[in-house]
Amino acid sequence: MDAGTSHRPQPIADDGDDFNFCSTCAFSAACLKHGYDKGQLRELHVLVEHTEPYHEGEYIFREGDRFEAIAAVRSGTVKTFVNDIEGREQVQGFFLPGEVIGLSGISEARYPSNAIALESVVLCRFSFSSMAMLATRMPGLQQQLFRLLSQDINKAALLAGNYSADERMAAFLVSLSRRYAARGFSPNRFRLTMTRTDIANYLRLAAESVSRGLRRLQDDGLIRVDRRDIELVDRPALESLARTILRD
Amino acid sequence: MDEISLDPELLRRYDRPGPCYASYPTTPHFTDSFGEAEFRRYALGSNAEPIPRQLSLYLHVPDCFSSGAYVERLVREIETVAKLFDRDRDVIQLHLGGGAPNFPGAAEVNELISSLGRQFHFSTSSTRDFSIDLDPRVIRPGDVAACAALGFNRASLAIRNFDPEVRCAVNDEQSVDQTMQVIADCRDSGFRSVNVDLVYGLPRQTLAGFGHTLEAILEARPDRVATYGYAHLPEVLEAQRRSRAIELPDAETRIGLLCLAIERLSAAGYRYIGMDQFALPGDDLVRAREAGRLQRNFMGYTTHADSDLIGLGVSAMSHVGDSYSQNPPDLAAWEAAVDQGRLPVWRGIELDGDDVLRADAIQELMCRGEVDIAGFEYRHRVDFPAYFADTLEGLQPLVANGLVRIDRDVIAATSHGRLLLRIIAMCFDRYLTSSQTGARTRYSRVI
Repeated sequence: MDAGTSHRPQPIADDGDDFNFCSTCAFSAACLKHGYDKGQLRELHVLVEHTEPYHEGEYIFREGDRFEAIAAVRSGTVKTFVNDIEGREQVQGFFLPGEVIGLSGISEARYPSNAIALESVVLCRFSFSSMAMLATRMPGLQQQLFRLLSQDINKAALLAGNYSADERMAAFLVSLSRRYAARGFSPNRFRLTMTRTDIANYLRLAAESVSRGLRRLQDDGLIRVDRRDIELVDRPALESLARTILRD
Repeated sequence: MDEISLDPELLRRYDRPGPCYASYPTTPHFTDSFGEAEFRRYALGSNAEPIPRQLSLYLHVPDCFSSGAYVERLVREIETVAKLFDRDRDVIQLHLGGGAPNFPGAAEVNELISSLGRQFHFSTSSTRDFSIDLDPRVIRPGDVAACAALGFNRASLAIRNFDPEVRCAVNDEQSVDQTMQVIADCRDSGFRSVNVDLVYGLPRQTLAGFGHTLEAILEARPDRVATYGYAHLPEVLEAQRRSRAIELPDAETRIGLLCLAIERLSAAGYRYIGMDQFALPGDDLVRAREAGRLQRNFMGYTTHADSDLIGLGVSAMSHVGDSYSQNPPDLAAWEAAVDQGRLPVWRGIELDGDDVLRADAIQELMCRGEVDIAGFEYRHRVDFPAYFADTLEGLQPLVANGLVRIDRDVIAATSHGRLLLRIIAMCFDRYLTSSQTGARTRYSRVI
């Protein structure tokens, strides 16, 4: 485990069983809303495989690997990235508990990026072919898959525009906050599990600019930073800074 | 804020060996399972924080320093270690010195600072603390001004005693005139503050002789005064073997000496900071204490302990992220490591979750004289009374003796307890209660 993250509990989903999803599950809301019965839920659940923990720095899949499964993060944070033509890493995204990785592999039948565990990570893996088959009989599941796919595309586009460092930083924090909140975790206090370099790379900023931006937000009373722990003190101000990027 | 009150009877009762908590866990719990690889990992981890901490550098110049070879190796170590830390991390604190007063020479200091300046980025903030130990016995005219020109703005002088009887007993030649001259030089050169380390409990030290020393010092009005009990550990400290244990003042006299120092300092307007430290009201330490921003690290009380501390040189301590480590105290071992281009990490410790909690509680006690329970619970997301049930029970005798006050919101040292912070802190030390090493661990006396 990385120095500095060795203690304080991280968000982790509770275990599901045959009929109850893990509380963070990306599919639970959609399926419950459609009122599937126990039999149908069991059909979905048997597709799920809870993986052994991946250790910090371990690859979950590599660019070019054959696409077989998508996976929901149960605990920990996953980073996806590609290496550009000069071998420089380009971070594509961070995936928190309840979020789904591997969706970008659907179109080419190969993963177009690498996925790496930033800390100890446990996944719920779904065989994609079985799931696709099941989705033909469960419209709710199909809709949820489409929704996840479109979110994935939008997320990548978010930070491509011409935004200031402060706007990017604020959008990043607000986005994390919303995502934690959506899974029932605290929206105002969370830990940045990714390194400063990874954040900088993702936001297309220099590492020093990330720190400077955060320091400015802290000096202005919008956030408090204690090592890797972040506290959002003035959410409305942050939201308004992030508005141009996040829109809703 | 509580002031201190003296009760010789209480001091007598609690005069026992105990850690001074410059770190928690304390150094006897460092092990050699923490080495070079672990130090590198923590250094990388510290760069990865969203706002990496500023840096503090401690350069240890050993007691019997004599040659330029030491400075050369120190420069090599600086070059090796500096590579591990991101360049945008400003150096906010720097201390050059040793356990004993020393001064390596203006040319050597220049070489060290130049090397540091090439490898690190010095903060340009007005709050930066660059301090140096000055030994009045070896300072030559111009040395102090040279240090100021290199960026030093604080100096620390150790004053053993101006009583010739004592000086003879500890093989010390330090005259009042030399010392006053150095303090004056510091002021003329624009140093922001001068600290004087005052040692009590020296061989042949008497109340009358110590009184004269205090008088002479207070006349110069240094900004800070630290009163250290002389730790006679000849089996550890080679230089002490020449003075004889039999001539040491007894426990009663030691307490008398400390009381005398505290009375005189208080009467002269000095404020008590904590542990051994006093300062004049205008000093940064007093202001930081009043604002609740006071901190403490291996270098003593400071306003910059929320930085990562890199120790350089023989026996130097580091504190990077949630780890402590130390270079070898043995000169030959340190030299060998540096010559091989290795990081000379000798031993250390990775703090676990429990260590982090207790270290924070002890830090609060040492710096504010109290632990604010609600603040602590918010920071660490724990139920304080439940988590520290054993500690609270262990504190009961101290409550009964009037050293500590416990209520729902706060655990606070009373005016009597503030002189015995170590005794209170010891109740939070898991390693003392569970320890099998206690018997073999040599701590200096509390008084």
